[in-house]
Amino acid sequence: MNFSIGQTIKHAILILGALIVIAPFYTMVSYSFKSQREIETGADTGFFGSQEVIIDEFCVHRGQPEREEVKDTLELYPEKTERDVYNILLDEVKKNCTKKPVFFNYQSAFTFAPLLRYLLNGVIVTVSIFLIQVIVALPAAYALAKLRFWGRDFAFSLVLFCLLIPVHAIALPLYIMLAKVGLTNTYAALIIPWTISVFGIFLMRQFFMTVPDDLIDAGRMDGMSEFSIIWKVMLPTAIPALLAFAIFSVVAHWNDYFWPRVVITGERNLFTPPIGMREYRADSDGTFYGPIMAVSTVIVTPLIVAFMLAQKRFIEGITLSGMK
Amino acid sequence: MNSVHKSAYWFLAPAIILMIIIFGIPIIMALGLSLTDYSLGNPGANFVGLDNYEKIFTRSSYEKMFGATFRYVLVVVPLTVGLGLGAALLINSITRFGDLYKTIYFLPVMATLMAMAIVWQIMLHPSIGEINRFLQSGCEIGWLKNLLTLSFLGFEKMDTWFGRSCEDGMPNWLGDKDYAIWVVCFIGVWQGFGFNMVLYLAGLTSVSRELYMAAEMDGAKSSWERFRLVTWPALGPTTVFVVTISCIKAFQVFDIVEAFWTRGAGPSKTAYVMMYAIFEKGIKQNLIGIGASITIIFLIFVMMITLVQRYLVEKRVHYS
Repeated sequence: MNFSIGQTIKHAILILGALIVIAPFYTMVSYSFKSQREIETGADTGFFGSQEVIIDEFCVHRGQPEREEVKDTLELYPEKTERDVYNILLDEVKKNCTKKPVFFNYQSAFTFAPLLRYLLNGVIVTVSIFLIQVIVALPAAYALAKLRFWGRDFAFSLVLFCLLIPVHAIALPLYIMLAKVGLTNTYAALIIPWTISVFGIFLMRQFFMTVPDDLIDAGRMDGMSEFSIIWKVMLPTAIPALLAFAIFSVVAHWNDYFWPRVVITGERNLFTPPIGMREYRADSDGTFYGPIMAVSTVIVTPLIVAFMLAQKRFIEGITLSGMK
Repeated sequence: MNSVHKSAYWFLAPAIILMIIIFGIPIIMALGLSLTDYSLGNPGANFVGLDNYEKIFTRSSYEKMFGATFRYVLVVVPLTVGLGLGAALLINSITRFGDLYKTIYFLPVMATLMAMAIVWQIMLHPSIGEINRFLQSGCEIGWLKNLLTLSFLGFEKMDTWFGRSCEDGMPNWLGDKDYAIWVVCFIGVWQGFGFNMVLYLAGLTSVSRELYMAAEMDGAKSSWERFRLVTWPALGPTTVFVVTISCIKAFQVFDIVEAFWTRGAGPSKTAYVMMYAIFEKGIKQNLIGIGASITIIFLIFVMMITLVQRYLVEKRVHYS
């Protein structure tokens, strides 16, 4: 093995960088295991925390013995006072509400706000966006790449022009249009501005240019319509490019915060995961760090795990925009 | 061989219609609305000429907006590009674990920025945050303190930032207007440089080995000379692209600001970036005229960046 000084210094720099990059991920997961007290005192209890049981105050509050319950129990133990019985019952509730911080954090993550609903919304929105983008972009890209017709250059320059404009930048007029037709606070509002991916059209066109014409002509000979050529001949050849585009699109829209923030104003049932995070931090003093870190972990994990499993494809997909 | 295809119009129609609805109409609308005092819910609006633009270029709160935006762009773009290039060169030149570093540096690009910004917010908490705890613990280790306060070079401890912070307490990163925007910049760099690194790594694979050999034969012995004469010119097109895309992304910063300050965009509005201004004026306060004007100015910035890029690409930045 080769231990040159140069290599060692390079590794030292890269490791330092890696530590800074990883620090928030480490903190996030570690805090999602810890109790509020551990986080506030900063006690050194390792990555997983001490897992010393805590009493879940919300749970106690919910389970507080009712007057009826106290009366019923009082009949069984006539020698005790009402106060004693109440305390015994409360102790029972507390015992049931005692749990390890990790369970408390992740349970609160899903119960304090409808996190599952948010995740489901995230999936619905990202999947719909991607499917519509493909349905719109593929025929357009095919026409621009392989068909000859009057106005093609103009249509392509329109695509190139739209490529310059970030959709977020024109969020305000888009919002006004949606408000005018009464579509704010709907799934449609979350999806509509992204139904057209000019980048997708551009990308698929570049890809289709490389597909040999013979393949298309063979399809025509077999009597296929242009429409079925797109879906039966072109689509299968485009799978790798499409997969990369899928990753690009899903990552962008799963993580998008700005657009949902603009267009979903009151309807909590439509919150996507990044917007849903706001629900967990109502005010600065009352923030429960453990649960909110559990929420962050839950939201960030799916993409990170997918990324770890198919790194090459992800890097390819995300950096598609770098392709010339 | 290729005949004229009528079906092409059917294939393009949905795309064209959507482009007009989603890009065309909104841009024209923004232009029109920026000349009015329109509010959503009002039946009509008054034509106010360029008043909105005049306000934006004269009032101090918009001065803050430009200040915060340009500070962010001017810090984040060079740093993400520089660190991206640096990381790519380092990873390219080591013999082992290159893929591991690449994976790690790419993580922030994938992660939901909103969630990570909230994690950073907790880490930056003045009293219970890990960052200040970490710095504070540096104050208690003698040699480290000497190193960081530069007192081993003969500086007075109280003359350096670290020395003062040890005495007076560590800064309130997000609550102090001297730090706020720079912290936002830091998160932006943390999040963005991995993306540029990957683009540069892709660019590096296209630099041909023969060029290095030729440079070496011409007497370029040191690695700096090789970088200056071969790598850097060959990466020209990549750099133009990376700078452009970093600029456009930097102009759009929003999530971090909203995550850190639920209202107000930082102490004394020091992190009042343009996207936040559009959101606050146009949507929260329903001052659509002003919001539309900022939108137009924003679009002009983005267009200018792209035009510079096109110009550079046409000038053929690569000399290889």
